[in-house]
Amino acid sequence: MFEKPSWSVKSLFESDKSSAAMPAITQKQLHHLLRLSALPLPASEVQEAKMIKDLKSQLKFVQAIQQVDTEDVEPLQSIRDETKEAEMENEITVRTLQKDIDKEEVVGRRGRIRRRTDVPAAATDKRMKDWDPLAQAPKKLGRLFVVDTAKD
Amino acid sequence: MSKAALADGLCHALSTSRLRAASSWRNPGIASLNRQWNLPIHHARALQADAPQANDEPFRKQLKDEARRKRQAVRSTVKDGTFRSSVGKEKDARLAKWTLTVGLEIHAQLNTEQKLFSTAKSSENGEPNTNVSVFDLAFPGSQPELQKATLIPALRAALGLSCKINRESRFDRKHYYYQDQPAGYQITQYYKPFAIDGRVTLYDHDGIAIEDGHSVDIAIKQVQLEQDTAKTNLQPPSTAFLDFNRVGHPLIEIITHPQIHHVQTASACVRKIQAILQAVNALTTGMEHGGLRADVNVSVSPQGSENLGQRTEIKNLSSFKAVEDAIVAERARQIAVLEAGGVIAGETRGWTLSSTETRKLRGKEGEVDYRYMPDPDIPPLFISEDLVNHLGTSLPVLPDSTLADLTTNSGLTYKDAKTLLSLDDGERLDYFDEVRFSCTSKRVSSHEPWPALDKMVGNWVLHELGGHFNAASTPFTPSRVPAESMVDILASLHQNRITGTTAKRLLAMVFDGDKRAIDIIIRDEKLNLDRLSREEYILMARNLILENRDKVHQIQQKRQMGKFKWFVGEMMKQGKGNVEASKAEAILKELLGLD
Repeated sequence: MFEKPSWSVKSLFESDKSSAAMPAITQKQLHHLLRLSALPLPASEVQEAKMIKDLKSQLKFVQAIQQVDTEDVEPLQSIRDETKEAEMENEITVRTLQKDIDKEEVVGRRGRIRRRTDVPAAATDKRMKDWDPLAQAPKKLGRLFVVDTAKD
Repeated sequence: MSKAALADGLCHALSTSRLRAASSWRNPGIASLNRQWNLPIHHARALQADAPQANDEPFRKQLKDEARRKRQAVRSTVKDGTFRSSVGKEKDARLAKWTLTVGLEIHAQLNTEQKLFSTAKSSENGEPNTNVSVFDLAFPGSQPELQKATLIPALRAALGLSCKINRESRFDRKHYYYQDQPAGYQITQYYKPFAIDGRVTLYDHDGIAIEDGHSVDIAIKQVQLEQDTAKTNLQPPSTAFLDFNRVGHPLIEIITHPQIHHVQTASACVRKIQAILQAVNALTTGMEHGGLRADVNVSVSPQGSENLGQRTEIKNLSSFKAVEDAIVAERARQIAVLEAGGVIAGETRGWTLSSTETRKLRGKEGEVDYRYMPDPDIPPLFISEDLVNHLGTSLPVLPDSTLADLTTNSGLTYKDAKTLLSLDDGERLDYFDEVRFSCTSKRVSSHEPWPALDKMVGNWVLHELGGHFNAASTPFTPSRVPAESMVDILASLHQNRITGTTAKRLLAMVFDGDKRAIDIIIRDEKLNLDRLSREEYILMARNLILENRDKVHQIQQKRQMGKFKWFVGEMMKQGKGNVEASKAEAILKELLGLD
């Protein structure tokens, strides 16, 4: 029964509506999208035509997805535990922040708050101890990264 | 008759006259003199100077601007029920046809130890590129870790602005490419921020436009958490030097509704919001040092129109003056375009300090599409009610309350109260409170109304002590002149045991390092006020009057009050520190027949 697939995702890329239903994608739109995505512009007319064709079929796919009825359905943003228990576990309370609240003191007669001077600063994260941010920099000057902004 | 005999005669005459006059306190002349005699001695008005403060230039400028505008307002005339300033009549006529609308977006750096989504230190001091984590540099595979302590200053800021706190809020990505943003997107809260529906009330003493009357409420749309970007040092033509210490530092963005209609109100709003954030310890530092930046949305619409005009956004204004100047320039530009029949394009514009016009940064061509989307790596934020309540009840006193207290209960002027509030990160105000409290509890004067005493404390803490710190160019510390010493000096002055001049001398001595107790100094240096009797004052005054008849004539006939001051000065000189200015003035006024 499972020898031959009965359905393929490819079908969503094929038009079952006439292409007149979809507006044409202009060169201007394509270039705008490429700029937004920091992708290089097409090197030739052939490449540009191919890009537009691919974009068109991808949009057909999106159209097919948009046929699904999502009335009254909240969009899924991430797969995580959305139960009430998880919410209570993750909520930030006074107890969660007690250690940080204890690092403060009230001074003066008007409730002014400031960090206590006798408490040492937070320790540096152990994971970053021996890591030099500049180690991977292709170009640097002293302790500054150097970037050529013209290379766009 | 010898002077001594004259004096004796006077003494006798006055004492009997005093007995006789017991019932004549109703005589206004003598009664007022009596009242004056019993007033606490303020140090001579002539010597009270306004000590310039080293690092509150923008604040002093604000006070000067306010004073200038008040003078201009006084000069304006009311004609046909509309106000017209005598300055720039033509310009005003043109402006009157258009309504200005301004909305603010204020970015403030939060006072935290660590960044928003990484454990790197948020301190910007120190070597470049040392407080950076892998996530800050957007290394592939690095994950955000929300630093929950950020919520403490964030919530305080929102509560200080009377916002409603959302129990649940989320983080979104705002995409754009720039060298100061390694990830290619900024994490912000676009769709569901943690605080909404706040407000800030601005009063005339905050420096709002005269047209806004006594007070104006500006509604705050939302307050959201977001990341800061790196520091870029651009070297023309196209090289950038980058320090990523600041990347990921927590910011809050405060967005107001477009309810501001006058230029000064806009800058007053920014100043007020900064003051509130500083009061609740939410800010690292003020606008002058880059801790707070403002983006301004400006539009104009014809007077009387229901709809708002097309707005433009002016980004990255970094001083209060820049806010005002940029709005004035942009309003002028928009009116010019519209009056010429043109149309305002919705664009982003920039402003530099020495400009006269805003300049276009991004137009429709290069319009950025931020493609906001919820960040899938960051779980929703849940803030418990008990945390909100805890921070709300322990919120420090806000500037408006302190100002009301200082002006109403302590009798300080608005100018002095605001200065006190803004100096030395609140340390000057704490010092004032300590001295004032000690004076009160020491029952320096049980029958004296408190306001008079607080005013004196205010003067001395702000101007006298402040003057010393300024002259020495050192920052204020409360230990240089311990509160106790200040209290002792002021108590001695208030009880007339020393003169104002002596009190100042004592202050200078303690400031310069004298560690002796005030009483000891007074005793050892023999600074005690030898109280001159009223008769001695009268004697001295009469002699001066007799010897300077021409000056007396000038005062009495020509009202040359400068000469009057000369007499007071002469008496003080002759008295060698034992003559009190106010008493000398009172006697001279009485003898010269002045009111």
